[in-house]
Amino acid sequence: MKVKVVVGLAVVVVGIILGAVNFIESNVEYMDFAAAERTSKKAQVKGEWVREQEIAFDAEHVKFSFYMKDDNNRIVKVVLDGAKPNNFELAESVVAKGRFVGEEFHATDVLTKCPSKYEGDAEAVKKTL
Amino acid sequence: MLLGQIGGIIVKLAFLSALAAAFFYYRGHKENSSRWVSFARGGYHLATLSLMTSSAILLYLILTHQFQYTYIWNYSSTDLPISLLLSTFYAGQEGSFTLWALYTSIIGVFLMQYASKNDYEPEVMSVYSLILGFLLLMLVVKNPFAFIWDSFPNDLIQTGPVPAGISNFVILDAAKNLWARYPVEGKGLNPLLQNYWMVIHPQILFIGFSSMAVPYAHAVAGLMKRDYNSWIRVATPWSVFGSMVLGTGIILGGYWAYETLGWGGFWGWDPVENSSLVPWLFCVASIHTTLTQRKSGAFVKTNFVLSLLTFITVLYSTFLTRSGVLGDTSVHSFVDPGNWVYWLLLGCIALFSAIGFGLLFSRMKEMPKVPVEHSFISREFALFLGAFALSFMALFVAVGTSSPIITSLLKGKASAVEIMYYVQTNLPLGIGITFLSGLGQLLWWRHSKTGSLLKSMLWPVLLGLGTTALILLMGWEEIEILLFAFCSAFSLFANLQVGYGIYRGNPKFVGGSIAHIGIAIMCLGFITSERYDDKATISLERNKPVEALGYTIMYTGYRALDRDRFAFDIEVVKEGIRRTVAPSMHFSEQSTLRHPDLINFINKDFYVSPVSVEQAGGPREESMTMLKDAEAQVAGFNVRFVDFDFNAFERGAMLEGKNFVINAHLQILEGKKKQPLTLKMMNTESGPEFTAATYVAADQRSYEFTLVRIIPDREDKSQSKVEFSVKYPEDPAAVKKSETLVVEASIKPMINLVWVGTVTLIVGFALTIIRRAEEAKLQAEKWRKE
Repeated sequence: MKVKVVVGLAVVVVGIILGAVNFIESNVEYMDFAAAERTSKKAQVKGEWVREQEIAFDAEHVKFSFYMKDDNNRIVKVVLDGAKPNNFELAESVVAKGRFVGEEFHATDVLTKCPSKYEGDAEAVKKTL
Repeated sequence: MLLGQIGGIIVKLAFLSALAAAFFYYRGHKENSSRWVSFARGGYHLATLSLMTSSAILLYLILTHQFQYTYIWNYSSTDLPISLLLSTFYAGQEGSFTLWALYTSIIGVFLMQYASKNDYEPEVMSVYSLILGFLLLMLVVKNPFAFIWDSFPNDLIQTGPVPAGISNFVILDAAKNLWARYPVEGKGLNPLLQNYWMVIHPQILFIGFSSMAVPYAHAVAGLMKRDYNSWIRVATPWSVFGSMVLGTGIILGGYWAYETLGWGGFWGWDPVENSSLVPWLFCVASIHTTLTQRKSGAFVKTNFVLSLLTFITVLYSTFLTRSGVLGDTSVHSFVDPGNWVYWLLLGCIALFSAIGFGLLFSRMKEMPKVPVEHSFISREFALFLGAFALSFMALFVAVGTSSPIITSLLKGKASAVEIMYYVQTNLPLGIGITFLSGLGQLLWWRHSKTGSLLKSMLWPVLLGLGTTALILLMGWEEIEILLFAFCSAFSLFANLQVGYGIYRGNPKFVGGSIAHIGIAIMCLGFITSERYDDKATISLERNKPVEALGYTIMYTGYRALDRDRFAFDIEVVKEGIRRTVAPSMHFSEQSTLRHPDLINFINKDFYVSPVSVEQAGGPREESMTMLKDAEAQVAGFNVRFVDFDFNAFERGAMLEGKNFVINAHLQILEGKKKQPLTLKMMNTESGPEFTAATYVAADQRSYEFTLVRIIPDREDKSQSKVEFSVKYPEDPAAVKKSETLVVEASIKPMINLVWVGTVTLIVGFALTIIRRAEEAKLQAEKWRKE
């Protein structure tokens, strides 16, 4: 019986450690461009798409690039591994996940945050009257 | 009174009668009186009937396009086909809670009959009615019948009545300006949801969610009745039913994501997917541990805990995906439903956990203690480990999905985990679970002899190794994946072997083996299609064949499916056989949606997802803004802006309101050659008209100049600027690039195994339901005789 309890506890502890380590490792931290530049880890940067500056899509390598301004108003070129994300034009803010390569931020993912459907809807009501 | 207002009142009536039913049933349980129970039945039926009526009203309002209701205006529109129009019933929160409550109430009608036969009615139904009551409270708070002027009170005021007719309402804004009677068009259904999956998938999912409340109700009922054993037999058919339906819903959701949404695979560890997986895992774990309690009486508390968790995690999942807590961290933009729903859902979790676990805790001491009699090599122990692994899996998934909450509590900033987390934590557990699902079937209850066990393992192990070798022929993989493949194949053959034996004995008992076979086949499909897939991003110039992934692929052109949607025809040729795929894109005002297409072969899928379409490149155009006397280089020559020409005559014409002309004089300097160039702008009533001027350069190529606008400076005329555009000649040297479609193509080997496994799993569940329902019936008859 004692052996069973010890073995059981050991399994639970190993499981929890496995989970915790993975949890911490795979949790990508939010930071600004300055901090992302300093770390070698993958980072998440929240910011705004700078509409005035060039956006481009490289069909050959399937890379979408745009300029993004973080919360400290630093503008960095973001190169996304993929096509333009859905709802990109509509987004009030974007979150890029990735790491710095030289001057550019190479993102594996860009999430777009769209304005809530329920905001400023009186205007939308007017349009459908 | 408007129909919607009646609907709102009926929802409140349903809420009150559900609460009354819960209370009457509870009295019925306390006083053991059938009078209270018959009151309670009346209350429950009234609640169900009211809910059905209000749902019918909502449906009617949707079908008749009554956009003065916020919910209907928000999610539906007049241009939807009837099937999708019906599905807008549950496109938003209010409606999906209505659907959930509706299915819960209907399932409860059957549950009432069933529980009454099993002598469990007052207890089970009091808990179940309380659950229904809380779902209805959600609808009282978030009324699906709210009017737009109530939803936007600062901007819209409702007055009336105005003319006779159906819509005696006028909407005014705060300044009391008349707008109109009411909206004539809704905002419409999210284009992502506009396909047939929207019609069936949410329905199945919500039936699954609703039936997950039944094991919880039985567990609490068992605790109330101090019946710690026989509640299991009563509850099991429902647990299996819930697992079957929810499982089907989960897989269908995966297929939806794969086939239509273009996620590339059928599982993305998305919060929406995870949140239905967690209760499913707990429910499946409970099905396994109850088997042991039937045999030896052990795991009494475990079974209570797992059955309670099944429903509590349904609530927790709803909280995660519906309250807006995941906010920024998911691809899905979760609409923030407001504080009410947030606190109500948290309150629900707290209340139902308190009822369940509180009761369990208070009854703990009187529960029978069953000494462990089984050895390590027994079916009991395998079942225990399997259920343990399933629960751990559920826990890992729940923690991962909750990451934004955990991180914001710990670090103040919310962030989600990467998919890697789910793979790393679930893969070892998956290996264990598949192995045990084979091994457990080969073991005897209590104790197995090592010799006979090894003997029975021989063929499954050999065939499992054979299958792994076949998979290895496709390429090398991580050792964990290979182990997973081996264990899945081992489980497949072990269950085939055992299942065949059971089938020859009693075909009715074969459900468990078949379900395990289904899961094993699915796991093999996961491995081959996700780990041995072949991917390529291909740029397809129109009508130019490209070799990729062993196929000759050619983009032949697009066709318009309707105003916004375009299908891209792609020819795929291999060994002389020509097939076509047509992925499509939906260019709406707000976004581009990409829908994949696939060719389903027996042994693989050829899957094509559109990335973007690049239009054929035309001649380059450039715009320049210049001060007077400034010079700029264009190609091989320079351009100088000389001056505007706006003479007295034209000024007079302008003052008289006639058409007038302003010219901008440029000078081209190429080598020693100087040539004037005049760009003309004629102002007319309908706006300015521009005349282009062409300059033919020394290399005989022509450049077209057009005035864009004049930027005068009234203070200092020398600071006035001109803006004009230069159209470059087409470059004959550059390769003329025609329209190009960029796609992501992939080959997913043996993906059909996933679907075959799913069907097998459902069949296994269905057989088990029949078996367990008969067993519950026998138990009920036995009780009646006593």
